[in-house]
Amino acid sequence: MITRPDPILLSYYLVVSLLTTVAFPFVFLPLFFKYKTLQYRFDDEGIAMSWGLLFRKEIYLTYRRIQDIHVTRNILHRWMGLAAIAVQTASGSAGAEMTIDGVREIDVLRDFLYARMRGAKGETESSDRPVAESPPVDEALVLLREIRDELRRVSSMRGPHA
Amino acid sequence: MSERAGQATAWVYRGIWSVLVEWFVVPREAPTLPVREPGELCAFRPAEGFLRYLKFWFWLALLAIDAVIIAAWIATFFIDWWIGLALAAPALAIAFVPDIIAYVAIHLRYDTTWYVMTERSLRIRRGIWVLNELTITFENVQNVRVEQGPVQRHFGIADVTIETAGAGGSADPHHRTKITNQAVIEGVADAASVRDRILQQLRKSKTAGLGDEDDRTPPARATWTRAHLELLREIRDAALALRKTG
Repeated sequence: MITRPDPILLSYYLVVSLLTTVAFPFVFLPLFFKYKTLQYRFDDEGIAMSWGLLFRKEIYLTYRRIQDIHVTRNILHRWMGLAAIAVQTASGSAGAEMTIDGVREIDVLRDFLYARMRGAKGETESSDRPVAESPPVDEALVLLREIRDELRRVSSMRGPHA
Repeated sequence: MSERAGQATAWVYRGIWSVLVEWFVVPREAPTLPVREPGELCAFRPAEGFLRYLKFWFWLALLAIDAVIIAAWIATFFIDWWIGLALAAPALAIAFVPDIIAYVAIHLRYDTTWYVMTERSLRIRRGIWVLNELTITFENVQNVRVEQGPVQRHFGIADVTIETAGAGGSADPHHRTKITNQAVIEGVADAASVRDRILQQLRKSKTAGLGDEDDRTPPARATWTRAHLELLREIRDAALALRKTG
């Protein structure tokens, strides 16, 4: 699984920073350290993403809580084979909760996330299935049969005496 | 003559498209979604009316802006004849070059907008310079909205907006490239049927939205079978027999 962004992300950050001309050092340095420290961890339940040198950030979200997936690709992204995959949960923040940068297997990752989203796993089908299946031996039937047999025995025992 | 002009514009348009596809890596084909059965996928575009609707605003803006530019240009003739003549080329360029670009952009916008629906989810792709693909599952849909303005009504189109519980951001519909929680299916002719199809999927799932998912136990069924009743009858008869003997 992916743990580090693709090295081409650094080139992307470089080009983006160069486009800002005079602001280049101020834009590039944070992006450079973001690239250097960016870590992804995909587990069975969700994704963890952490970055930052001085101010460290870590986000964790579970696949089930994903509300929508945005894949945004500008021209530079497309030329470099990159994309920004933004994942949203239902928290009230103004932007996407997590933006996965620097992944080249865009469609693979998106399908991976999509397949784990709520509503895409076929949960609605499985929820229709009854939770408890009927027990193989019907206990009520056995009990009733015992009561019947006992009653018959009592009446047959009393019969001759009467 | 007009047929030849039509052919020429079609040729130029195809040329622009191939430049976009080759150099700017714009996908030519419709997006797809993972499906269980191949027949499930349904890809569609905005209606023809949407193109006419966009062009209506285009002509309106063109008339308003170009009238101002040309009036200003004509006014320069009253200052000096020569200034007016010298400004002819730039004035006409300012007036008409953006129009041509905008006109082509309208067609490109129309041709690059795709909506793909399956039983469980929706994917929307739009954009040329910045391609934006949004994927949502109907399980996460909070509400569905249909909107139609008077001009849209005239062209027989409407917008269907689907909202999830994702980040709200601004509800401003003009910033659609921004990441929001809205999926806007704009310019469809049969908005009601699109809405009904989405609502139908919503009704199917019991846990749509952010609702409680734990409440899943099926309602208790009566578990008396024929065998039970048979036995109960026999017990009653045995009890009756016991009373008679006792």
